[in-house]
Amino acid sequence: MRQSRTRSPSEAAKARKQDRLLLRRYHLDGDTTAREELIERHLPLVRSLARRYAGRGESLEDIEQVGAIGLIKAIDRFELEREVSLATYATPNVVGEIKRHFRDKGWSIRVPRALQELNASMSNAIDRLTGRLGRSPSIAEIAAELKSTPEEVLEALEVGSAYSTVSLSTGPGGEEDLDPMETIGKEDEGFDQMETRTTLEPAFGHLPEREREILRMRFDEGLPQTQIADRVGLSQMHVSRLIRKSLSTMRDELA
Amino acid sequence: MRAELIELTTPLSRDYRAVVRLIVGGIAESLDFAFDEVDDLQLAVERLLAEAGQTGSVNISFELGPRSVRTRVGPLRERTIADALQGPPPAPGELNLRRILEAVVDSYGVEDAADGAIYVRLEKVREAR
Repeated sequence: MRQSRTRSPSEAAKARKQDRLLLRRYHLDGDTTAREELIERHLPLVRSLARRYAGRGESLEDIEQVGAIGLIKAIDRFELEREVSLATYATPNVVGEIKRHFRDKGWSIRVPRALQELNASMSNAIDRLTGRLGRSPSIAEIAAELKSTPEEVLEALEVGSAYSTVSLSTGPGGEEDLDPMETIGKEDEGFDQMETRTTLEPAFGHLPEREREILRMRFDEGLPQTQIADRVGLSQMHVSRLIRKSLSTMRDELA
Repeated sequence: MRAELIELTTPLSRDYRAVVRLIVGGIAESLDFAFDEVDDLQLAVERLLAEAGQTGSVNISFELGPRSVRTRVGPLRERTIADALQGPPPAPGELNLRRILEAVVDSYGVEDAADGAIYVRLEKVREAR
């Protein structure tokens, strides 16, 4: 937790104001030095997002360069009447550019079909067993339910969660879900207040409302996954993944 | 009384996080932990490693009791980990490593090691069924 990265509300507001001025200079006056300055100012965001895709057969530097293209597109397409910050607008553009790059390169993750099928059936099995047993099932019980082995269950769980671009974008078990980084679309009203806090809080405001609520329930209220799943209408496994994904995203953003 | 010890050394690079998760999951499963308990322990270790940076390596030991596992992770050199775990409690609503560990393990502790490094101990107990 690098607290030195924390910005005060006034600093954050000042940064957004400066972005606005630069965007106006670029879009209204054609000032390309303003565009270059905007790119420089937001490269840390690109680097932070690029790190999420490291270790998948492509160098981090290359991923950052692809992400930078997304940033430039976001700057060029930004509409001044939009009431969002450039960082908020640019994030899905950068992530989208990186994902497209991996797809185009044919480096998307290939998971063995048997594990995919096991993973797909696991979410329902966990919820079914939880209802039947009145508690969270053990791995052995899940394996028995699915006529599998505990080792295969653990492996399928890991496969489903490790490759988050697959699992969170497509929604295992048929549940509708989007990559949290792609659902960012509006300013969080509490963001300025969040930025005054230490640790993971500055990034908290960038999460979609549903993920923020899940984190609050888990870590503020101390609710177990089963209750959270009931409240938000998702499977227990899906809640687990959203928690992991959210914490990881927040950590990466602060790195 | 069963008290078995499993030890491993792993690079801190995130490339090995999935391997560590699988090992933690396998150990928790061997004690018949429930799905959410397995997930809690995996999350605790994962968040700890995530805060530890990505360079160097770390030792992780698991002491298996009849229905609990004591996990010891270190040496960790990121001062922010000790600050978060030994400093003042987080403000209401504030999310940091300490609040995460408080939610997902039954107890945790910090041991000082050489050169200002620390070891973090995590205990997870299987709920009676």
